Amino acid sequence: MSETQPAFKLIRAARVIDGTGSPALERGAVLLEGDRIRAVGSEESIAAPEGAPVEEFNYENKTVIPGLVDCHVHLIGMGDGRAGDELTTLPDEVLTLQAARNARTHLFSGVTTVRDCGAKNQTTFRLRQAMEMGITPGPRMVLAGRPVAIVGGHLSYFGVQATGPDECRAAVRQLIKEGADYIKITATGGSTRTSFALRPSFTVEELKAICDEVHKFGKHAAAHCASSQGMSNVLEAGIDTIIHAVHREPDGTSKFRPEIAERIARQGVFVNATLGGGRNRVVTLEKKMQAEGLSEQEQEELDQMRRAHQQRLDDFAKMRELGVQMAAGSDSAWGKYKMGGFQHETDSHVAGGMTPMEAIVAATADSARSCWVQDSVGTLEAGKQADLVVVDGDPSQDIGALWDVADVFLAGDRVDRGNFV
Amino acid sequence: MPENAQHYKLLTGARLIDGAGGPLIDNGAVLVHGSRIAAVGPASTVSAPDGASVERFDFPGKTIMPGMVDCHTHHNGFGDGRSGDDLSTLPDEVLTLQSARNARASLFSGVTSIRENGPKNFTMFRLRDAVNQGIAVGPRMVLCGRPVAIIGGHMGYFGSVATGPVEARATTRQLIKEGADYIKITATGGSTRTSFPLRPSFEVDELKAITEEAHKFGKLTAAHCVSTQGTVNSLEAGVDMIIHCVFKEADGSDVFRPEVAERIGRQGAYVNPTLHVGRSRIWVMQHKKEREGLTPEEQQHLDAGLRNLETRMEDCRRMQEMGLRVITGSDSSWGDYQLGNTVYEAELLVASGYSAMKGVLSVTGEAAKALGIDDVTGTLEPGKEADIIVVDGNPADDINALWNVNEVFLAGRRVDRGSPESVEANRQMPPRG
Ligand SMILES: [Zn+2]
Ligand SMILES: [Zn+2]
Repeated sequence: MSETQPAFKLIRAARVIDGTGSPALERGAVLLEGDRIRAVGSEESIAAPEGAPVEEFNYENKTVIPGLVDCHVHLIGMGDGRAGDELTTLPDEVLTLQAARNARTHLFSGVTTVRDCGAKNQTTFRLRQAMEMGITPGPRMVLAGRPVAIVGGHLSYFGVQATGPDECRAAVRQLIKEGADYIKITATGGSTRTSFALRPSFTVEELKAICDEVHKFGKHAAAHCASSQGMSNVLEAGIDTIIHAVHREPDGTSKFRPEIAERIARQGVFVNATLGGGRNRVVTLEKKMQAEGLSEQEQEELDQMRRAHQQRLDDFAKMRELGVQMAAGSDSAWGKYKMGGFQHETDSHVAGGMTPMEAIVAATADSARSCWVQDSVGTLEAGKQADLVVVDGDPSQDIGALWDVADVFLAGDRVDRGNFV
Repeated sequence: MPENAQHYKLLTGARLIDGAGGPLIDNGAVLVHGSRIAAVGPASTVSAPDGASVERFDFPGKTIMPGMVDCHTHHNGFGDGRSGDDLSTLPDEVLTLQSARNARASLFSGVTSIRENGPKNFTMFRLRDAVNQGIAVGPRMVLCGRPVAIIGGHMGYFGSVATGPVEARATTRQLIKEGADYIKITATGGSTRTSFPLRPSFEVDELKAITEEAHKFGKLTAAHCVSTQGTVNSLEAGVDMIIHCVFKEADGSDVFRPEVAERIGRQGAYVNPTLHVGRSRIWVMQHKKEREGLTPEEQQHLDAGLRNLETRMEDCRRMQEMGLRVITGSDSSWGDYQLGNTVYEAELLVASGYSAMKGVLSVTGEAAKALGIDDVTGTLEPGKEADIIVVDGNPADDINALWNVNEVFLAGRRVDRGSPESVEANRQMPPRG
């Protein structure tokens, strides 16, 4: 930091939401020192040390919240509907460029931390290396590198397939050696053409080897589960986050399994329900319907998406009733869900029964906890990294306010969201 | 572009430079249809067909001119003084990301076409693919893929070395297969640690094999020559552009060889003198001197740099006076010279002897000719791609007006350059002294 830049920044706003779930603080202030938060409180109570140079930011009618934490992204994704099987045929350099583009977009939209849930080869590690060199901007990244899959399993085309406990352990060690911050497992099939979405993938023994190995290094594991048996298996293995958490039987029927939800809650496992992709599609089609009408095929898709989305919202509500903790993760830019729209996930959480404040916590503090980065980010508390978002209006009254981002601070620096270089 | 089929853009400005050597047009206008230029001339004579939808862009007080063409770039580079040997140790993905950053900085500064002179492996092919897919943003690119070098030769670390005419031919075919638009040869050593800058690299028969093979496919060649024998060999082989064109003997002495220069002129080869890349090193030392002073060795280094720049500018002046086709190619981001600062090279061609207007042509129409892309871009003429910049002031009077770029249009589309501060931040400032 050059001498001309004051070490302190004083941010005042109509209200401050600290992300812990405490009520919004009216006429609040946050004092930053370098890359950290020095103090948070009422406007009168917060000031820089006497005589210290301080840069001031005054946000009338706006709300300061912690930088958003999206616990589920695919940075290399296009969000244009192409299948992962197609995406993976692109060269690594092109995928890395796309990842950089997505990282910038997501940061500018208010997301200051992401957990990447699966990329090809070294692409996300290379992106992080380039970010550390100052080549390209982006949020903090919690990286899996490549997901661990069975032969032919979901996302296996990204480069890691393992069979048997020994290979599973070896895969974990390899990824951690390369710089993985956690391990992503695909515990059921998914959209991958050679996989079986309604069936589990790894055996419990294999899953145990992965979870055991990753915990040994003080890191966590998150598992993609697009059907119920996958959830039972990963719970048995000691997983930390269940992704998607789709309650579905091998025959394809939707059936909520309370005993699984209870076990999730009992084991303190986070669920990342990934509702935003469905909502994004519904909203997109509804907008199109308003503007120009829909084709028969699109109308069918809309009806089907609405039913599926409602089913997921119902299951979300039931899991919460049974005490499951939710972490917000968009799953963009997978499928047709482009990055920069994490707020579809927070909107969905409210649609699924959360209060706006609960949805904010799920997208900040709890999401950070699920990514094991709660010591440094996720709330506005003294000592934490100075990652903040300023939004118009009051998101604790209307969650839609999260879409209206006025400013983003990352590690104490105001992000120039007009910097396209 | 179906949505644009009937859509025109009309740009008007206080003056217009066509980049083709035509006179400055007062109150000029360009009519753009889709990606192309439909008409150019005094505003009173240029209009869209009756009934067509027209988007107007009025630039009172400003100059409309072709986007700049930079004949010599290294998009992988950082321009932070690191050597190419060190640069080439970075992973391809990181180099591709840096290339994307450089491409944006350069485009935003008003450069709408570049010729890349030496990246590693597939990095620039990949970047161009990504630009074509809408993933990244950048100017038109004329690519070599990798430079062709001898074993241990300059930029051999980027991935293409060849020995003997047969391998030289095979390498040329390989690069063209991969998508190369021209062939870059390092005909002498250079900054590469294992190379010999004062000595030629390839044999003449090797250079001939490369040049013949490239020409067979309608592609041009360009040779890096930082000592005179390399230039002589390249001319013997029929190379189309002499890069650097340093007149230095094998013992390191500076000797301008008029007969070599005359031969360049006779053969119609282009000369890309790359003057500012040396000055950028001088500036780094002068900045340091202002900040903290220099050691005696550093001061000697600085003095030698200044003498060298003087010699290079004097040689450049002679070639300009002899009527050689001297064009602008920055050599950024090599050494300490960063992309986004192409104007400094054009400025030094003017300081060496060009008029400001010739300086403008050297970085527009003439540069496009040197790259063989003059049928597509480089001038404001009907039928060409609408690569246009708008600048404050009159660069035909003062070449430094090229710093004041207000707008950039690439293939008829206005480029969203983001905040002015973020664009301005890419300019490397000279020392105060
Ligand atoms: Zn996912
Ligand atoms: Zn060069």
